[in-house]
Amino acid sequence: MQIDENKTPLRMRVNGRPVAVAVEPIWTLLRVLREELGLTGTKKGCEQGDCGACTVIMNGKAVNACLVLALQAESKEIETIEGLGTPDKLHPLQESFVKNGAVQCGFCTPGTLMSAAAFLRETPNPKIDEIKRAISGNLCRCTGYVKIIDAIGKASK
Amino acid sequence: MKKRGIGIGSMYYGLGYGYSRPDIASATIELCEDGSVIVRTGTVDFGQGSDTLFCQIVAEELGVTPDNIQIVTPDTATTPDAGPTSASRVAYVGGNAVLNATLALKRTLNDVAESILGEKKLIFLNREVRAETSGKCISFTDLAKACHLRGVQIVETGWFNNTTDDVDPHTAQGDAYATYCWATQLAEVEVDTETGKVEVLRVVAAHDVGRALNPSMVEAQIEGGVVMGMGYALTEEIKQEKGYRGEISLGEYMIPTSLDVPSIESCIVEVPVPTGPYGAKGVGEPALIPTAPAILNAICDAIGIRITELPGNQKNLHRLIQEKEKKTMGSEN
Amino acid sequence: MQNFSFHSPASLEDALTYLSDHAETCKIIAGGTDLIPNLRAEKLHPRHMLNVLELEELGGISETENMIRIGPTTTFTELIETTLINRFLPLLVKASSQVGGPQIRNRGTIGGNICTGSPAADVLPAVIALDGELELQSEKNGTRRIAASEAVQAPYNPNLEPDELLTGIFAHKLKPGTRCAYEKVAPRNAMARAFMNLSIVLYRDEEGVISDVRIVPGAMMALARRITVAEEVLAGKKPDKSLITKAAETLLGDLKGVWIPDYKIPVFRNIFKRLLGELLSES
Repeated sequence: MQIDENKTPLRMRVNGRPVAVAVEPIWTLLRVLREELGLTGTKKGCEQGDCGACTVIMNGKAVNACLVLALQAESKEIETIEGLGTPDKLHPLQESFVKNGAVQCGFCTPGTLMSAAAFLRETPNPKIDEIKRAISGNLCRCTGYVKIIDAIGKASK
Repeated sequence: MKKRGIGIGSMYYGLGYGYSRPDIASATIELCEDGSVIVRTGTVDFGQGSDTLFCQIVAEELGVTPDNIQIVTPDTATTPDAGPTSASRVAYVGGNAVLNATLALKRTLNDVAESILGEKKLIFLNREVRAETSGKCISFTDLAKACHLRGVQIVETGWFNNTTDDVDPHTAQGDAYATYCWATQLAEVEVDTETGKVEVLRVVAAHDVGRALNPSMVEAQIEGGVVMGMGYALTEEIKQEKGYRGEISLGEYMIPTSLDVPSIESCIVEVPVPTGPYGAKGVGEPALIPTAPAILNAICDAIGIRITELPGNQKNLHRLIQEKEKKTMGSEN
Repeated sequence: MQNFSFHSPASLEDALTYLSDHAETCKIIAGGTDLIPNLRAEKLHPRHMLNVLELEELGGISETENMIRIGPTTTFTELIETTLINRFLPLLVKASSQVGGPQIRNRGTIGGNICTGSPAADVLPAVIALDGELELQSEKNGTRRIAASEAVQAPYNPNLEPDELLTGIFAHKLKPGTRCAYEKVAPRNAMARAFMNLSIVLYRDEEGVISDVRIVPGAMMALARRITVAEEVLAGKKPDKSLITKAAETLLGDLKGVWIPDYKIPVFRNIFKRLLGELLSES
């Protein structure tokens, strides 16, 4: 890899595939995903960890990509919304969101889905209060969370 | 001490721009040779579901399925003006425009089908056009082909003008809005008198939407609106000093999180309005209007304090509680 | 935003050397949940960034007969999920559960919460209530220990030399039968900075006499500490309502420089009485 002298190589796995990209130390994982890898499904909301729109799964845990320096993602497994499901093969959570009206403007949706996906892997039969807590780091303005919580509950069955 | 209370808020809301302000929408509909239909209109679907709604209107009238309908919105190069997507007007004004365009197309389709089938009284359903009495039918696709071959008009425009006459500037009487939405919401709260924190336990929201063309989407609007109303009542604050607003980020501007929301029950009330598409009105803004009054009334029911300045956040409510306690103690002395 | 050199050390020794070489211009990053927003807001301009998150020596939770050692890069989620913490230092579980939201808890670390020195810190006051001790290391001066209550000298100003690294957090295991309580008062139920928090540790003997009590208010003033004058009111006594009230007033009398006193003082009084009352009524 030709590296610009201001940049450092970063190697990680994104959605099951190895990725190598040259990054500036100040870049966040969010920036790398969106602008270097073209994975714009992960959204830029507040860039300070307050909204959860940039949630991805890193080594199995839901994290705000805006709060991970790119170089801290070295050798990590990153899952983004693009890896959760495809238009032809939706993840059960995605299907449930669509079916149960949990998507309005869609801006919080990728982050919320990633939080929910990470959560359901660890808690496959959740109670409603647990679901609420699992998405408490994902702000939504459109839905009032009602159908989102319902959709996650239904997907878990 | 935690005290519970119940409050009611009611509202009516003039749909559209009112007061003789231009309130118009237009839409075009085009029948393609393969039986698919293209609708073009300037409305923006930003998640509220207007594209879905227009699709439903076309499907309802023409008997086709959503996968045969293409909704093109909004594109200043190709879509006719539908006015702003605001004022809770899209189902009513935009929906009527799409409906009018669809009905115009349907008249042409009906004429052609009548001449093909040799029958009147036709039903458009399940992707075919069927004569009510004899059962003779033609598939929608074949009908579309026939229309193209005959060179009949297969592109139509629909308009709807919701502009009112205005009111008398002195008496305020007249024609402010063409139609009104009505709603009542009930809120049950629990006030922690020791911290000033209010938990909203439950909201029941009854909204007269004329006709719920898509009940799930109506519920979604109500649920989102209630939570907006709750934030407005209790935690959201924009500070201004000498005309400049203070620091606002999502870390400082407190909107409710999933752990803050009450259980929300939507009661859809349908009193069809003859001027609306299938009797429908609107719900976008009405969804959040009665919430703050209901919550503030519930707080008053719980602890006898009237909040008159928003937000009724912890600091403000606690101060009011303290002032009331001082007054009560003062009058007891 | 100004760029910096990013270094992920291979070992603790390597980290300490790097820190020693670049002390004045280096920032240490673990979970980054406080650091990165501050970088974006241009409150910090480091020329070097030391990424300690992966250092094995800084992670992990272990026990000896009487003590628990917590690696400073332990995340809040890890604290909540670790059996040793739940069993011997449950106050840390309660406090950690109140931090931000799931994503923040998955990244934020106990070491970060201590070293950021925010006056609204959720977990540092709990560490102080547990009489936590911090192990600090530097290449030049080796290892030293300070009490957790000495960790911060002023808001956002930790008591660490520029070339020092927090390498361990130690606390005595709570005696079986010890009760802990933690409450956070905040504008909403998640993702919010505290208006105030309160940590209480309480142990009563078989006769119901209080033999160990520790009280630490947080986010009330610049720095958090045990309010020993209030603890002394309660220690050695069998508690009743009037004793709780006396402890509350003594406590408030000892607090100097409370922020937004018109709100915080009366609310804190209520929270304190309520939390202590609940702890004491548990059999």
